[in-house]
Amino acid sequence: MRPGAARLEPWVLMSPALALLAAVTALPMLYVVWLSLQQRALFRAAQFTGFDHYFRLAGDGRFWNALGNTLYFALVSVAMELALGLAIALLLARAGRARALIYGAVLVPWAIPTVVSARMWEWMYQPELGVLSFLAGRPVNWLGDAALALHAAIAMDVWKSTPFVALLLLAGLQAIPRELVHAAALDGAGAWTTFRRVTLPLLAPVILVAAVFRSIDALRVFDAIYVLTGGGPANATETLSIYAYRVLFQMLDFGYGSALAVVVLAITGMAALAYARLLRGGIE
Amino acid sequence: MIGVSLDARSPSVRLAAPAARRRGALRALAALSIAALAAACGRQEPRRPDALVFRHPKLFGDPEPLDRLVGQFERAHGVAVRREALPAASDEQHLFYAINLAAETTEFDVLALDTIWAAEFAQAGWLRDLSAHVSAADERDLFAAPLASVTWRARRYALPWFVDAGLLYYRADLLAAEGLAPPRTWTDLAQAVRRVRVSQPALHGFVWQGKQYEGLVCNALEFIWSHGGDLDAGAPAAVRGLAFMRALVTDGLSPPYVTTLTEEPARVLFGRARALFLRNWPYAWSLLQRAGSEVEGRVGVCPLPHAPGHPAAAALGGWHLGVNAFSRHAAVAEKLAAFLCAAPAQKALALAYGYSAPRRSLYADPELAAAQPFLASLATLLEAARPRPVSPHYVALSQVLQSEFSAVLSGRRAPAGALGAIARARRVLEAV
Repeated sequence: MRPGAARLEPWVLMSPALALLAAVTALPMLYVVWLSLQQRALFRAAQFTGFDHYFRLAGDGRFWNALGNTLYFALVSVAMELALGLAIALLLARAGRARALIYGAVLVPWAIPTVVSARMWEWMYQPELGVLSFLAGRPVNWLGDAALALHAAIAMDVWKSTPFVALLLLAGLQAIPRELVHAAALDGAGAWTTFRRVTLPLLAPVILVAAVFRSIDALRVFDAIYVLTGGGPANATETLSIYAYRVLFQMLDFGYGSALAVVVLAITGMAALAYARLLRGGIE
Repeated sequence: MIGVSLDARSPSVRLAAPAARRRGALRALAALSIAALAAACGRQEPRRPDALVFRHPKLFGDPEPLDRLVGQFERAHGVAVRREALPAASDEQHLFYAINLAAETTEFDVLALDTIWAAEFAQAGWLRDLSAHVSAADERDLFAAPLASVTWRARRYALPWFVDAGLLYYRADLLAAEGLAPPRTWTDLAQAVRRVRVSQPALHGFVWQGKQYEGLVCNALEFIWSHGGDLDAGAPAAVRGLAFMRALVTDGLSPPYVTTLTEEPARVLFGRARALFLRNWPYAWSLLQRAGSEVEGRVGVCPLPHAPGHPAAAALGGWHLGVNAFSRHAAVAEKLAAFLCAAPAQKALALAYGYSAPRRSLYADPELAAAQPFLASLATLLEAARPRPVSPHYVALSQVLQSEFSAVLSGRRAPAGALGAIARARRVLEAV
């Protein structure tokens, strides 16, 4: 067989999978980009407008507000989920006999559909009848105060997603060879040094993978916040996805809404690429 | 699953058959299952080409009275009518219509429209002009607000089916104990709250819909209108209306978390005897007064208060019926819409479902007054109702209204600034 044919063969074999991927992801994605370059709205003739929508974004205060909310939400929630998830994973790794039971219990928040847990939290946040105000000892306007509402949404996301991070990290912890920890102990390393110099570096790739998954989810956040606050009060919890939904499906402005969707895509894409670089660097 | 059980049940075949035969059997099985799948997909209800399709929101209650009405029409015109329900959420209903009508669907003929969509759909060319079905007598009979909201560029694009308007619920027992009458002005309301709170400090004053959503637009417009204002930028009356809305929270007449309330949570608070006043739609009446309710028999209703010297105003809600511009049965579809929006049908629906009819004449009907006394009392209220801005851009405008009103209510924006932003957004929208 000629070397050229040998190089060609893998592509031929992959072509059905590639065609499928193109059909279900690449084409719709390109179509959204194409839509974002056009005027497509009710009462307006469809026409190609180039980058007009992106210039309009630059001057749209509501867009910058949504972008700020989205980044703040993603940064704070992912950081907290990683920190808490790591702590829980370290504890779980030491769990004794009841391990299976504890795993199950930890996973419960992750297993509940987001809309259901958002409704649950909505009740917990109820200022007078909710359990959180009871714990605070006074009625707190968790969801209706513009300064608190986004943090309330972050708390719910942390509650929901920490189990996922914890379980992923636990799997990572269990893959670390015991000999390394024993060797560190023989060398006289304390618990903290062992954690810093042995556990953490070996766990880093798994932490990054967890961070990738959570960041991408957090940057696209829609359902939890939409149910809890609908983006209010005063747009204090409106994320890019919620704004895009409103422009696309309520105002029916498909051109501008697509531009917003492209921005969400670009941000998650950049985050994924940054993590991918980190991951490669970590493994080498 | 089927393949596995077949193999398990016939071990002899499996032993005797060479691999090739088994593959043949599997192939046959696969073909069979595909055929079954195709048959299942194809087994849709055969669509009668001559059937009219009527799209409307889900009914709460027994469908029989509406079916009886529709049956009457079917017999009179020798045509079959099929009712199909809309999605539950308002946004989804709007999207459903927009997607289908933009594609010039012929799948439905008569459609129920939220009052705020009529101008938009008319401008888009999705609705037939129904002016011929609104006689001079109808114009006199219909309340002003629903009539205004079916009108676009001096033509009627839909027929008012039933109407809703905001009203004030009050705790009649608590007001009576203080010797107070139901409030006529906002000042009366504030005084009543302060008086009753002397003995009941934990009671909330006035609960309404302050979450950032369409309901807030209705509430805020009522505050603006009842102070003599409208949505024009900088008009002092509109500024006073919005400032009053914010003051309800800062003065403690409404709880701070009114910024999270929609219709139902507000209704539940009032229904649990935790508030003196509630702004809501007429539907809340039967829920508050039903047996077992904590406030059963202790609730009164009156028009929303107003600032001294200005008329009361209530935001209009409800549904219109329109006819799809692409309908293949336009003539008979128009007849169906007109039939369902005529006085006899509206009376039947009012009796069966408690829907408020948009016609003045029905509120003088003795049978209706006897069967639905609460409904009959709504006439003055509906007389004062006003539509939200009648504009083809209303849905986009509402996004701006919701966020600006919410910003005022949470103290992030001054009323004048919000009104300015609204006026600017309106100019941009209408320039297109």
